[in-house]
Amino acid sequence: MSPDDVLNELIRQGILSPEQQVVVAEYERKKPVSIHGELRSMLYVGITALSAGLGYLIYANFDQIGHGLLLLAMAAGCIGCLAYAWLNRPAWSTGIVTDRAAFTDYALLLFCLLFLTLEGYAQYQYTAFGTRYGLATLLPALLFLPLAYRFDHRGVLGIALTALISWVGVTVRPLNLYLKTNFFAQPTVLSAIGLSLLLIGAALLLERRRIKPHFTYTYLTIAGNLLLIALLGGLFNFREQRVLYALALAVTCVALDLYARSERRTHSDRAGGSFLFLLMATVYGYIGLTFLFFTYLHPTNWGEGWYYWYFIVTGIALIAYLIRQLTGTKRTTA
Amino acid sequence: MRAYNQAWIHNRDVLQQVDRWHRLGFLTDAQQATAQTTYPVGFLQTNSYVEIGLFLFTTVVILAVYLLVLPFASAVEEDRLAYGLVNAGFGLVVGVVGNVLINRRMLYRNGVDNAFVVMATAFVGFGLNQFIPEGVSLSTHCLLTLPVLVLVFWYYGDTLIAFLLLMTAYTLVYNVTLHTDAGRALLPYAMIVASVALYGLSTWLLRLEKTTYYLDGLHLGQWLALAMLLISSNYYVVRELNGVLADSVRQLDDLQNQPLRAPGTLALPGLFWVLTFALPLLYLWLGTTRRDRMLLILGLAGLTGAFATVHAYWHLVPTNVALTIGGLLMIGLAVLGIRHLRIPTHGFTDAPDEDSTSESGLDSSLLIARQTGQNTPTTPHPTGRPEGGKFGGGGAGESY
Repeated sequence: MSPDDVLNELIRQGILSPEQQVVVAEYERKKPVSIHGELRSMLYVGITALSAGLGYLIYANFDQIGHGLLLLAMAAGCIGCLAYAWLNRPAWSTGIVTDRAAFTDYALLLFCLLFLTLEGYAQYQYTAFGTRYGLATLLPALLFLPLAYRFDHRGVLGIALTALISWVGVTVRPLNLYLKTNFFAQPTVLSAIGLSLLLIGAALLLERRRIKPHFTYTYLTIAGNLLLIALLGGLFNFREQRVLYALALAVTCVALDLYARSERRTHSDRAGGSFLFLLMATVYGYIGLTFLFFTYLHPTNWGEGWYYWYFIVTGIALIAYLIRQLTGTKRTTA
Repeated sequence: MRAYNQAWIHNRDVLQQVDRWHRLGFLTDAQQATAQTTYPVGFLQTNSYVEIGLFLFTTVVILAVYLLVLPFASAVEEDRLAYGLVNAGFGLVVGVVGNVLINRRMLYRNGVDNAFVVMATAFVGFGLNQFIPEGVSLSTHCLLTLPVLVLVFWYYGDTLIAFLLLMTAYTLVYNVTLHTDAGRALLPYAMIVASVALYGLSTWLLRLEKTTYYLDGLHLGQWLALAMLLISSNYYVVRELNGVLADSVRQLDDLQNQPLRAPGTLALPGLFWVLTFALPLLYLWLGTTRRDRMLLILGLAGLTGAFATVHAYWHLVPTNVALTIGGLLMIGLAVLGIRHLRIPTHGFTDAPDEDSTSESGLDSSLLIARQTGQNTPTTPHPTGRPEGGKFGGGGAGESY
């Protein structure tokens, strides 16, 4: 249906005045096509091609350049990006900042990526951090977290949180142990649970104080997934504490469900995103439930095909549950 | 007679425009409310995350039911006809149950109905293909499946089915061409003709269709046709990949006795060199004059491919230098575009799409001006952002 068709419909129904029709039709005719996303995709592809080309160029001519010069060049690039971003920084606000210069976000993101490369390169070539991997992961976390807040940048926040999670991971359990033994050791799982609870708590507290409330979604997505994966890991691997992990998983899923409901009630603008938490709760919860069902009830011994009924019954129950959540939400045009 | 309520879809289309104009400040709250009562939509609301979950769990349920039925099907597995009948019959039952659910629960692309459509089509298609003897060519299977997919797409307008339909059609053209005597030489032309035909058909149907019922499927047809046209006329693809693929198909089909062309030769190389550059340029020209985003994106991608083709044969500069220069060029173009389009020119703007970002607030003063008096300035600022240049939520936007 073209906009003109809709306008004629609305006129016929007496909803629109002829003057409005003229204005809207004029707007639709003259409306420029937005190539915002396309230009930015091109920028990203260009940056990727450039960095790949430069990296390859350096690799091919490495003997003529030398490590020192290379590190220096990277550091210069880093400082350049950060300086550009800082000079074009948006005004500070505890809310969402919409008024910002065109390239600041990209300069900041490039700074973060360059910084990580620089750090990795320094470690690889000069073992700058020795075996203190904790320091190597804590440094970017400590640096990027304030930057994410100052520049109101959710992408940098995501990198900072990932760095923080890896810091806790390598601090609790030395890196080489991960590779040698089972990934899910008790201390790792417990620290992951602790960290994700801490992050979720911090996010909710900051939201209550109205400090960057739109960051909560990023926090909850990352920390929520970490928490659920850790709980599932605990459930699968530690037979003695299985009851506790099962209980904790159930509580988390219910809490996510309740949170998603309250989000829809209180923030209609966040209703769409809140369904992600609902999806997380159902999928992770279902995996846990299915694991418990097959581990303790041994339905495969009941006779041919009986356990298919488990999938049929639970599947229908979850479909009904999810559909119920859809009714009672406001009509979305998306 | 189609699967979903046509009147509701029509109303939904109207309301989407009304909501957009309301957001832009052209319509008052009262007008929006009147429209909502005049154009009722009974469909269950939807959300992409919930859709994923519903699609997943519905598929689990249908597959579990099939596994329950399977022992009966296995009993007749030796008899292809009976086995086919059981599978096609199961597919039909799934389709009927799906339709009952669509009508009872007022579903419209909520995940549940999508899963029912896809599973029903899969079982019917699988069952039908059991009816023909083993060992027939791939094109026969495609030919048999194609009418089913066309019928399902006509009835449901499902995008995933549209994708399967297009893939089957292309496989059919590809396979049939390769089985003719001059198959390998004809293949690029056959693909070009098929793509042009597909584009023509999709565009014609889009013009006929007044609602959004088939919109996504037909857009997919346009995208795929134009992309395949670029690929099948690119010199590198035609010369290298085509030969490789054709040989492998020949070996599978016991056609080795046919004379093979020496690798790396090609009839009419000049034509394909011209097409490699001319088509993307044509896309770009059409995209700019018609203000068509799809043509612009594909044109740019095709042009990149054309330069990569030149690079593949002549190596004017080493690959790393080519990447660096290409990257710099793209960054330069993007930066130029972003700076230049701060003020909309030639019908293009760098402002985020009004439809895609609702959080990037519009200029409130203009909004109020539009809402209260409707005495909008003769040329309302098309983006609703008089100062231009600044973009909302670029870094903190959804794309992260």
